[in-house]
Amino acid sequence: MEKSLFRFVWRYSRRQQLTLFLITLLSFPILYVTLELPKLIVNDAISGENFPRDFFGLELGQIDYLLALCFSFLGLVVLNNAVKYVLNVYRGLVGERMLRRLRFELYRRVLLFRLPRFRKLSSGEIIPMITAEVEPLGGFIGDAVALPAFQGGQLLVYLTFIFVQDPFLGAAAITFYPIQGYIIPKLQKRVNMLNKERVKNVRRIADRVGESVQGITEIHANDTTQWHLAELADRLHANFKIRFAVFRRKYLIKFINNFINQLTPFFFYSIGGYLVIKGDVSFGALVAVLAAYKDLAGPWKELLTYYQQQADVRVKYQAVIENFDVPDLYDLKRITDLPTDEMRDAVKGEIKAESISYTGDAAGQELNGLSFAIEPGSTVSFSGEDGTGRTELMAMLSGLLSPDSGKVTLGGLALDDMPESLIGQRLAYIGVAPQIFSGTIRSNLRYGLRHRPVADPNDLDDLAERLREASLTGNTQYVVEALWEDYPAAGVETSGELDLRAVELLDQVGLGDDIYQMGLRSRFPEDLDDDIRAKIVSARQRLYDHVSADKVLASKIAFWVPDAFNPMATLAENLFFATSSDRSMSIGMLSENTRIREFLNASGTRPFLVEIGMAVAEALTELFAELDAESSLLDSLNLVTAEELQEYKQLLTRAETDGVEKMPRDDSRRFVSLAFRLIPARHRLGVMNEERAERIVALRQAFRDSLSDEEKTDFAFFDRDGVHPSFSIAENLIFGMPRADRRGSQETVNKLVAEAIERDDLKPYVMQAGLDFDVGVMGGALSVGQKRKIALVRALLKAPDIIVADEVLQGGRDDEAVLNTVSGAMKGKTIIFGVNRPELTQGVDTIFVMEGGRIKASGVPADVLSS
Amino acid sequence: MTLNSEVETLKRVPLFNGIDAAKLKLLAFISDRLYFSEGEHLCDQGEDGDSAYIIMDGAADVVVETPNGPAKVAEASVNDVVGEIAILCDVPRTATVVAASDMETLAISKDNFLKLLREFPDMSLEVMRVLGQRLDRMNRELVALRSQRAE
Repeated sequence: MEKSLFRFVWRYSRRQQLTLFLITLLSFPILYVTLELPKLIVNDAISGENFPRDFFGLELGQIDYLLALCFSFLGLVVLNNAVKYVLNVYRGLVGERMLRRLRFELYRRVLLFRLPRFRKLSSGEIIPMITAEVEPLGGFIGDAVALPAFQGGQLLVYLTFIFVQDPFLGAAAITFYPIQGYIIPKLQKRVNMLNKERVKNVRRIADRVGESVQGITEIHANDTTQWHLAELADRLHANFKIRFAVFRRKYLIKFINNFINQLTPFFFYSIGGYLVIKGDVSFGALVAVLAAYKDLAGPWKELLTYYQQQADVRVKYQAVIENFDVPDLYDLKRITDLPTDEMRDAVKGEIKAESISYTGDAAGQELNGLSFAIEPGSTVSFSGEDGTGRTELMAMLSGLLSPDSGKVTLGGLALDDMPESLIGQRLAYIGVAPQIFSGTIRSNLRYGLRHRPVADPNDLDDLAERLREASLTGNTQYVVEALWEDYPAAGVETSGELDLRAVELLDQVGLGDDIYQMGLRSRFPEDLDDDIRAKIVSARQRLYDHVSADKVLASKIAFWVPDAFNPMATLAENLFFATSSDRSMSIGMLSENTRIREFLNASGTRPFLVEIGMAVAEALTELFAELDAESSLLDSLNLVTAEELQEYKQLLTRAETDGVEKMPRDDSRRFVSLAFRLIPARHRLGVMNEERAERIVALRQAFRDSLSDEEKTDFAFFDRDGVHPSFSIAENLIFGMPRADRRGSQETVNKLVAEAIERDDLKPYVMQAGLDFDVGVMGGALSVGQKRKIALVRALLKAPDIIVADEVLQGGRDDEAVLNTVSGAMKGKTIIFGVNRPELTQGVDTIFVMEGGRIKASGVPADVLSS
Repeated sequence: MTLNSEVETLKRVPLFNGIDAAKLKLLAFISDRLYFSEGEHLCDQGEDGDSAYIIMDGAADVVVETPNGPAKVAEASVNDVVGEIAILCDVPRTATVVAASDMETLAISKDNFLKLLREFPDMSLEVMRVLGQRLDRMNRELVALRSQRAE
């Protein structure tokens, strides 16, 4: 990368900077004329004589001449500002493009880092560098040439004017420039160094915060909150000290500048005055010089600020670049080149290690001159505990780590020379702690097939513009909306077949049931087609009929029926017979919804609900009168928190003294919110009775009718003939709730759902929904075992020629299933296991036993295990 | 059915009859109202018990597995408590309870009951008193039995 910011600017924005420079030059004559015209208006038009005048070939009288000049002036003012506008927009554009280029380049470099580099540089440090730290560079790059040219040009004009008046005064005006030019860089240099320190410190802060967020479980589990707070406080203090030192110097520079700028007029008055008295300089000239000097201060100040700013961003650029400009980067060719046919064949050949050595950062990461060969199509294992170099060797055999000396060859070609497109497509590696990305299980499984786009994206309106901008900024020409999954590579034709294959593999490694459960529980998948929707609705009806016919079964479920009150649901759900389409909206929050408020007021339901809310509050206050605030009894209720209860108590008192009629809107809304949350069968407060329930059910249709078609989309209604979008498949099938007042109702519901799925052959769709399960940030919703299995299926799905599976076999129950799945999917291909103990891989062709970075023994399992 | 009627029932249960009404109300509130159809099992012998049932309406048969098949050993009806041992300590159910008619019960879960005891130490003392009386009565019955045998 370019070592200095200016070299970077010059290399990639040379033409734009020159354009900016030319536009700047264009502004000078206009500026000059706008200064000249007023003089002309006063001297020539207002107090002039000899009319009519000739104005560009027209004979004009005095008034017309005045107007012509005035409109010319107006025109020039507009033109001047138009030029400035174009200049500013273009400057912004250049800056933004350069910023995009810089960020893209930095990110690409991160992807080219070799693995050991990440032991020294954490994401917490890299992220602010690519995001916040380079941000000011964008603004500056646009200014890089245009600003000094513009302000410098103006400065020159003013100086020339002063010199024309009197060279001596001119000299006085610039006397202190050399002094400023000497002192300020010295101070600035110190500021730069401090700024560099500050940047590093902020980076460390970001790193610490990132670490705390990731390790929050450990923090809570170890009660180390105070320690982390203290640690961050220490960093913040360091930051404060640096910033304070920077301020002091920055304002000292400002002080010196201001002082000198005021000092010069002193010389004008004293020396100039002396000269005027002596008669060497005219009084008018002195006044003119003073006026010009005032104008001079502006550009000079701008130039000094520019100088400070460029010094600052130069440091920032360097502070960022030095972290990315590392010598051991992979060659760019590694990620851009396509493999040759020779290489493609070589991957199917013998794997050979020729006296490879490696030294990691810590003990137990070294390899000492290993040599061995693995025949193509064989299954081998490397066994060794942590610290035997096994993990490093596994990464090396997958082309992820390069040996310090010696080499790993595939079919006679060095693995290190092969492009990533070959290594990543034909080799699969499952590490000790595989990474799961945020998103769905499906997208994680397909991750291994997203090498290059295989088809152009459809209907992207701005595709051409996006590609043009990308090429202008050195960004990639691939768009993320394209189809990336390489189905043929996985040996399938369509997306659906790939899912089937994925489900088959998940089943084999023992994850099928987990996915099934996730599918049952996760929200109804939006992209399931109408057939399945219809199927689910008819299965629901059948289930309903089946249950209704059986008295015992029927007593266990409270179905969603349009004209029946559902005692297992909240009052709000009963009233609106819908949930909010926005799932993040809690039931209590519905009282804040404008549509609902309007309905409650229009239908006169509000007082009725306030009455219920007050009754709930009264009953709760009475029940919990003797309990203290921390009582856990209240928590298990899930209706109000202890603090809320206190609030409601106060609201009740206020309602009693002021009268219910005078209750403020806010208070009544709080009571409505409480009423909304009430689940009669769970919160048996004696508040609900049949009459009230009937009244609520009677309001359902009225509410629905009060909404316009557009407003209806804000709610998800409980319609028996359609799927409910925020219910899971299971909830959609049962379309009701297990009754809390019957024993074993949840179990009954589970059984009924399982039967319905079985009978109507819905399992594939449940599995689809399971694949849609959102794994959370970096797979946070999955267990370690689930993550590992998903990584294994991801690796197998891309049908590699070689698979390296480190610590996938752990001596657990699943080992046999995993082993069978891998050998089934990798028939005739090379399989390499990394294991802790040799006994875990009894069925392989060869076992290599590692110890202290060497191969201690190798051979067929029977021999190795007996010795 | 309101809490007040449940409290009335609870008052008639020996285990709770010394506890004041406000606390019984709370106990009723945190308990579950469970309904059973005739023939349904309230609990099964041998399974882990986690709640006691107070019968508010209907009746149940207490059945024990014997080598000769299930045998009815007792009947329980309104105001009776079944399975109360389960909310005091971890023991498997000693009998199966089958609803002899449609039933209404109040089920007190072990977790909620213990929570309440922790909250109100007075209540623990009351429960201990009742258990003590029961122990005393059983001891006396045991002595009487022994003396009967000795004769």
